[in-house]
Amino acid sequence: MTSLWKFDSPRHRQSKTGYWFVLPYAVFFGGFVAYPLIFSFVLLFHRWNVVTPMEWIGLKNFERLFSDPLFFKAIINTLKFLLIHIPLQMVVALGLAVLLNSKLKCRGFFRAVFFLPVVVSGVVVTILWQQLYAFDSGLLNRMLSAVGIGRVPWLIDPDMAMLSIALMATWKNVGIYIILFLVGLQDVPRELYESASIDGATRARQFFRITLPMLRPTFVVVVVLSTIGGFSLFVEPYVLTGGGPMESTLSAVLYIYNQAFYFNHMGYAATLGFVFALIILGVVLLQRKVIETEPTT
Amino acid sequence: MSRGIVRSIMLVISVCTLLWWTGCSNQKSPQGSGSGEVVELTYWPAPNPQEMQLADTLVRRWNRTHPGIQVRMQSIPVSQSTEEVLLAAIAGKTTPDVCSNIWPGALHEYTRAGGLIALDQFSDFDSIALARTPHDLLEPFRSENGRFYQIPWKTNPVMMFYNVRMFEEVGITKAPRTYSEFFAAAKKLTRDLDGDGQTDVWAGERDIRPIWWQRLFDFYPFYIAASGGKTLFKAGEPDFNDEDAKSVFMFFQECYMENYFPHTYFQGGDPFLLEKKATHFAGPWEVATLHSLAPHIRFDVAPLPVPDRHTGPVYTYGDYKNIGVFGTTKHPHEAWEFVKYLMLAEHDLLLLTITNQVPVRGDLLTNHLFSEYFRQNPKMVRFAEQAISTRGVDAAPDLKEILDAISQVYESCAVYGKVTPAEAVDGAFRRTQMIVKWNK
Repeated sequence: MTSLWKFDSPRHRQSKTGYWFVLPYAVFFGGFVAYPLIFSFVLLFHRWNVVTPMEWIGLKNFERLFSDPLFFKAIINTLKFLLIHIPLQMVVALGLAVLLNSKLKCRGFFRAVFFLPVVVSGVVVTILWQQLYAFDSGLLNRMLSAVGIGRVPWLIDPDMAMLSIALMATWKNVGIYIILFLVGLQDVPRELYESASIDGATRARQFFRITLPMLRPTFVVVVVLSTIGGFSLFVEPYVLTGGGPMESTLSAVLYIYNQAFYFNHMGYAATLGFVFALIILGVVLLQRKVIETEPTT
Repeated sequence: MSRGIVRSIMLVISVCTLLWWTGCSNQKSPQGSGSGEVVELTYWPAPNPQEMQLADTLVRRWNRTHPGIQVRMQSIPVSQSTEEVLLAAIAGKTTPDVCSNIWPGALHEYTRAGGLIALDQFSDFDSIALARTPHDLLEPFRSENGRFYQIPWKTNPVMMFYNVRMFEEVGITKAPRTYSEFFAAAKKLTRDLDGDGQTDVWAGERDIRPIWWQRLFDFYPFYIAASGGKTLFKAGEPDFNDEDAKSVFMFFQECYMENYFPHTYFQGGDPFLLEKKATHFAGPWEVATLHSLAPHIRFDVAPLPVPDRHTGPVYTYGDYKNIGVFGTTKHPHEAWEFVKYLMLAEHDLLLLTITNQVPVRGDLLTNHLFSEYFRQNPKMVRFAEQAISTRGVDAAPDLKEILDAISQVYESCAVYGKVTPAEAVDGAFRRTQMIVKWNK
């Protein structure tokens, strides 16, 4: 056999060096991805409160889940949030992107200002909004009172609280979608607008007939990202309302968190997480199907 | 094998050996109690200043008279709740030898984790426990397997404090005993003092946030009172889907609907201390708070209001805190000796004097040792009288989640009036059944 196949041949040594380079990621993947995933799967069939030994309970976690109205309420709350948040976010982001794409004084400054909330910690932003939304002493209600409009129960009215959270979440995240829309707008060929102008198309007609169709790929990205972000709604209700009033802002992730870390039901929380992941998968597959079957113009 | 790999393996082995050696060298050798060595015990009292002062006094005395068993007192590490700290300590095997802040509602979790030792393994347990605590009060603390993992130490009966001046201002001279009497008083007590159309003083107030332990100071004691001493469970099964629970929700719903209680969360101080509310449901610790922070307030204490049809004694929630010895102790007998020392009559007097909390004793009002204290603190007599008509919490699994379920319906029924009392009780009961079924 040639030295090429010997154990300590230079080539063999070289190839093994590669494994050492891969090792840190392999350790990371094993410890922080593969192990938690496998452990979560094991937890689906156990009751475990971290302190006592794990107890095999078969499908009892699933049995409880399907008779747990609070979980379904949390799912519906999350969907309500998505229904308000996604359209609002798209309209606001697109409107601001169109403005920031036009010839505007201090355009760079405004672009930075709108992006600023994205880089600020979610908890900090939420605490700030908690002060703004306070019923008795909040800045918003003081301003409304000063102009003769009564105080608004932003966070203490069950019918109002989720809307308030959606408004705040839109303010927090809109910057990233403005950037996406700006990129999309700058990709629209100038010639299309020029020829449309020559043909006598108004600005509004140009917007609906050229800009919007050309932004379809961006809309797809924004919808998918907003959906994923919306499903993971947690910090805002956790800090602002704790899921109340009357569980009206209890999101699915907050409910899973409560079951895991407030009531120490690790197995049940893993089951909720598993089913919730399946629901998200279903929604994303549905979105893909809808988007893929839409005719291209 | 290449020299590099051999070198790496040698390095790893060396590091592991070093870590193992240093780790083992830090381990303390177990201390024997019979070889003349000093036994060391760790004791965790509740972290409030009064109980820390009491513990400090008792531990100093003990250490002076017991040179062979030295106790180190350390307050329970600060967290959201003692129960969380103790559970974390059980998981990490860092529990103390003795703790005197065991809430019976969490006992099921502790024993399931093997965290506590059975105290009735000591031959003198029965005689010590029964000499201090009447049989009726002791029995509810027996676990499902028939063993005692806790010994009742103190109770804080939840009663109704009322501001005598505010009552007199509206012409009421007696504390309301029934719901009807309470509503009649509340109508007069809730007032707009400056004529600006806004209520300035209320008949009462409760924290409107759906926090599980808040229900231990409204729904739960009121349910015990309305039902003549029933708790949420009977023979391990939920047992509160009844008229008494509905009447309690009806009571609180009316309090909010008629605006006798504010729909807001008070920030910036206790409204009873600020004389913004005329009644307050609390335990005897409030007596010391009122004396020290608001000495100008004239107050009195009365049993909780009950439904109009109620007959017999008025029970309430006792908010018991008990003593337990943890399974990590290396000196169970010495720990038990210390537990017995904590419960001596003269130390119960110190418990009363320093903390204004009621020892679970049957002879509080007959033992001459305590008579001088009660003469000087007449308000505390009410709590001593009430102590024999108290109930704790059931040793049920997931009591925290069950009380959370009750909190959620309390919010929707009482505070917001969105569901009827019958729907509220039914909703909480069905969720409790689901939790209990899942735990079996």
